[in-house]
Amino acid sequence: MAKVTLTPDSGFARELMDAGGDSLKKCYQCATCAVACPMAPDNSPYPRKEMVWASWGQKDKLMGDPDIWLCHNCGNCAELCPRGAKPADVMSAARNVVYKNLVGPAKVGEWMSSPKGLPMLFLIPAVLWLVVWAIMANCFAGGEWFPRVDGRIVFGSIFYGDYTIDPLFMITFFGALFLIAKGCVKLWKQFRQTKGKTLVLGPTKPWYIHLVQMLWDEVVTHKKFDDCQTGPRTGQPENSRKFGHICMIIGFASLAVVTAIVAGGHWIGKVIPFLSIHTPMPLYFPVKLLANFGAIVLIVGLVSLTLRRKRQNPKFFSSNYHDWYLLGIIWAVALTGLLSQLFRLADAVHCAFLVYYLHLVFVWMLFAYLPWSKLGHLAYRATALLYVRMYGRG
Amino acid sequence: MSSAILVVGGGFAGLTAAIEAAELGHDVYIVEKAPFLGGRVAQLNKYFPKLCPPSCGLEIQFQRIRNNPRIKFFTLAEVTGLKGGKGNYTAEITLQPRHTAPHAVDLGFFASGLTGETTSDFEFGLATRKALYKSTPFAFPSRYVLDTKTLSPEDRAKVVTNKFLDLNETEKKIELQVGAIVVATGWQPYDAERLSNLGAGNVKNCITNMQFERIASPYGPTKGRITRLSDGVAPKRVAFVQCAGSRDQNHLNYCSYVCCMASIKQCQYVIEALPDAHCDVFYIDLRTPGRYVKVLDKARASGNVSFIKGKVANVQQIEGDRVRIQAEDAVRGEKLTLDYDMVVLATGMRPSLATQATPLPLPLDEEGFIAGGEEAGIFAAGCALMPLDVTRTAQTGTAAALKAVQVVEGR
Repeated sequence: MAKVTLTPDSGFARELMDAGGDSLKKCYQCATCAVACPMAPDNSPYPRKEMVWASWGQKDKLMGDPDIWLCHNCGNCAELCPRGAKPADVMSAARNVVYKNLVGPAKVGEWMSSPKGLPMLFLIPAVLWLVVWAIMANCFAGGEWFPRVDGRIVFGSIFYGDYTIDPLFMITFFGALFLIAKGCVKLWKQFRQTKGKTLVLGPTKPWYIHLVQMLWDEVVTHKKFDDCQTGPRTGQPENSRKFGHICMIIGFASLAVVTAIVAGGHWIGKVIPFLSIHTPMPLYFPVKLLANFGAIVLIVGLVSLTLRRKRQNPKFFSSNYHDWYLLGIIWAVALTGLLSQLFRLADAVHCAFLVYYLHLVFVWMLFAYLPWSKLGHLAYRATALLYVRMYGRG
Repeated sequence: MSSAILVVGGGFAGLTAAIEAAELGHDVYIVEKAPFLGGRVAQLNKYFPKLCPPSCGLEIQFQRIRNNPRIKFFTLAEVTGLKGGKGNYTAEITLQPRHTAPHAVDLGFFASGLTGETTSDFEFGLATRKALYKSTPFAFPSRYVLDTKTLSPEDRAKVVTNKFLDLNETEKKIELQVGAIVVATGWQPYDAERLSNLGAGNVKNCITNMQFERIASPYGPTKGRITRLSDGVAPKRVAFVQCAGSRDQNHLNYCSYVCCMASIKQCQYVIEALPDAHCDVFYIDLRTPGRYVKVLDKARASGNVSFIKGKVANVQQIEGDRVRIQAEDAVRGEKLTLDYDMVVLATGMRPSLATQATPLPLPLDEEGFIAGGEEAGIFAAGCALMPLDVTRTAQTGTAAALKAVQVVEGR
């Protein structure tokens, strides 16, 4: 008989418990959860096996497990769990630990995983944008920290696109993108290492077809969130995140389009003056309409998702720091964004600039820390979903 | 000061305690809520350790009661008040009317002519009964009981003409002077309707283990033929769902101790009656205390019983009144979706006191089991104390009797 030696890593189990899986030791392996989960495939379903890996500190197995990303956290397993072991929370904690350790610098991962790191995370962009503000105010606005242009408030007069916002955000954005891509590659390698070589029988589809199908199921139709509701009857009220999640995606997509158009208009406008877009845009301008539409949808999504977390029965669910960090940062981005517009329109120059400054800080935090935040799931989960589809699972 | 002992509950624990105390020379009163003694054991087909039918084991106890003038028992009776203290209690007992003559008249023929029917609690809703009934042929006391609510108008007309029946009998209250009390109020099967993912009691041919005892019992709704109630056909594939609502913080947060052995026993019922049938037992952990492991070995060796590690978490009705269940085989790591002719939910024991109020000053634990009270001369026995099998129930009955005797003996 083959001899298998397990080396339990109690430090890893502790790390998982700190990342939101504090109930994991309650599990007694009854396997209710694997049945409760309508998404878990018949062959080697989750989350029971993850629960035993977690309590035995099997770090390699969990870190290279694509299944933790298949979970959409509906919580059927937690509602039916006889022990209150909250498998959904443990899966979420496992994902949190993956974000934390996937890419360097390790320090950022550490800051991102507890409220203790929050001051540092805030301070970095706060200092950055304050320096920009100081330089711009003294060198270009004649020492005026709250300038007006022709009597109007123009944020661009301090946070000028050409050499403040655009380059800094480009570096941040593409830097984060690079790190995320690096993380995805590493994740893929981890999956392959743990799962070993998979022999695929029968016809296969190329990866891009899988990618399109995955995006269709997960993003466009949000079908998987409905699948979450098809499990055994738990006798508990439904509390789907589908609506809120769709709102978030529509909101962010609209704002991304707006950003792209404004930045594009700015730079292309330098070559083709006809296409140039100047900020602030009038309220009736289509791009501005889209921007405000996106902001409102985002707020609606935020309200829905925040209420959902508040409504959760603490007997079955707990929201960990990563959950609240992400909701909090998006709330901060959305509110400061809307308020800076309102203050600008209300001509409250001090409030407008201060809030806009905060807006820049929060947006920077959202993007720069993407690789270590729960929002990183948009890339990491996609990677895992693509992986499992290519290997005929999920 | 009284040297009598009150025993609340006439099931196996209460009977044992009463008989032991009486045989040591003390006056004993048994107060039983149901119309007959015997409790849950009377509802079983066979029980451990020797797999006797209850007619056998209970018959011995009933015989000892009949032969012992020190034991007085009240059926359809409840303790509704308690005054005094250790060594000197006055218990108020409320007696519901039985409406039948105080001697064993065989009213069977008369009862069969009645038309009014109601669901039988004794059969766990699997059958109906008449207004005039005995729970089993061996029921003790061997007196019919008349449930006036179930009488139809024409039944009523017949009943008034029968000189052994008395519709005018009313509720009575009596007082008993006792020195010590044994509480053996027993247990209720956990309500399957609360198990939303296991069909909530609405799936045909998905029954509880106690219902299955009635189906296997020669005095039950199928006269002991193991068949599906929906169509009377013998099942070929039977699944046993262990820990149905047990060891579960959302239901009973403890192990009921007996259900594993009960299911293995029920597998024996199936394969003895239906040699072609196959049973699958889905479990989290199998509890086979002491020598009982041999019963498990025997079931395994039969080749007709499989044991699958993994709790059933989904039960659904499918066509043909069959039952589809889902479980993960946790050893192989495979989610199974399987169809059965009959599914038995091994539901656990809930102490009666968890749901029923009592005037007795009893400290209960969070589950409703009795946790203390001995300093007041009140002693718990049987499943009111913890989940127990019949053997250990008898032991706690004897233990409680000896403790109660020590209280009244010193006087």
